[in-house]
Amino acid sequence: MDPREELWAAAMRAERRGDAAAYEGLLADIAKTLRALIRGRLSRLGMNAHETEDILQDVLIGLHTVRHSWDANRPFLPWLHAIVRYKLSDAVRRRRREARYRYDLTLEEWSYVPAATHEDPDLGLVDLNRHLGELSAGQREVVRSLALEGASVRETAQKLKTSEGAVRVTLHRALQRLASIANLAASRRSKEKT
Amino acid sequence: MSSADTNLMIRSLAREAGMKPSRPVVSFDTALLLGAALSFASAVMLVFATFGIPDPAAILGSAAFHHKISSMLTVACGGVFLVRYAGRPGARGLALLTVLPGLALLIAGAISDTSGFPFLGRSEISVPSCIAAIVALSLLPLVITLFVLKRGVTTRPAVAGATAGVLAGALGAAAYSLVCKNNGGLFVAVWYPTAVLIVVGLGSIIGRRALAW
Repeated sequence: MDPREELWAAAMRAERRGDAAAYEGLLADIAKTLRALIRGRLSRLGMNAHETEDILQDVLIGLHTVRHSWDANRPFLPWLHAIVRYKLSDAVRRRRREARYRYDLTLEEWSYVPAATHEDPDLGLVDLNRHLGELSAGQREVVRSLALEGASVRETAQKLKTSEGAVRVTLHRALQRLASIANLAASRRSKEKT
Repeated sequence: MSSADTNLMIRSLAREAGMKPSRPVVSFDTALLLGAALSFASAVMLVFATFGIPDPAAILGSAAFHHKISSMLTVACGGVFLVRYAGRPGARGLALLTVLPGLALLIAGAISDTSGFPFLGRSEISVPSCIAAIVALSLLPLVITLFVLKRGVTTRPAVAGATAGVLAGALGAAAYSLVCKNNGGLFVAVWYPTAVLIVVGLGSIIGRRALAW
């Protein structure tokens, strides 16, 4: 039998007793295994390998959210496999769908095209919306709830049916992504000027 | 996004170790059995409300009725196992075999059919009305079963929705058998499962979206 079965099942049981260290070790172990796996799949699908950590985090959060559904009397690896398989295909599917929306030319943008050639209006607001559009659906919801609607982390977690930790992590990732987008846009603009 | 981020996230997730689930106390299995009972009750009520309460002596004296309701309830029992399988990640696929007894009963009914009732029913509208009635009776059970499944963890949403369709469709058909006048074994073996399959397709389409998480 796979030696991980015993090891990981024991760590899952430790989690239920509130052993954060054992649980952290378990998640780190699983992350290490999944990282290599996800990277390989992404390159095979022709998707960017830098999405690896994003998807890995999606899987881990999913796992964390439903961890109570594992029956401690049953083997752990089949349970883990079912969850990981679902969350992976879900993450890939969602990214594909979002990519399609992102490249879709809306009627609004279309009618905006000729005007843009004549003048250079303040694109700030348009940029803000577009940048929010770069986030994944989950990240966008969290940012909207926390930053635009002013809800608390707890309220947001309840509304999105996830844990407070997951909300914090999602916000953290969203901010990082926004920052990297802003940097990119700024450097592009300065390049255009020179 | 770097692996350092992931480690940070893991640490913050680990802080929630030992927290109890926020869900109510009723387990998935209990909810499933309650849901199935409620589904059947609702379908029977709907049958009584639309077709009127049948004469108990007449239906209990009819061998065809016993065959119809027992085969459909047997399929429904298999459906309970299917839904249970779909709501528990990593469960073994052995549960898929539990629909076989119900199917065997239907086939046995078709083979031993000596009633001489026509395959297309006693009137021209027998087939469409029977299918429409069973599908309509299964809608509420389908919704109930999908809600039950949301309490479990579905890792194949479309398949899970289909299993909900098996349970709901079989319960709807069992309820319909209380008032069904077409007693031919072949009729039952062909058109009842057809109606159930429509509910299965419906469940699979709804489940794909409703059971994703």
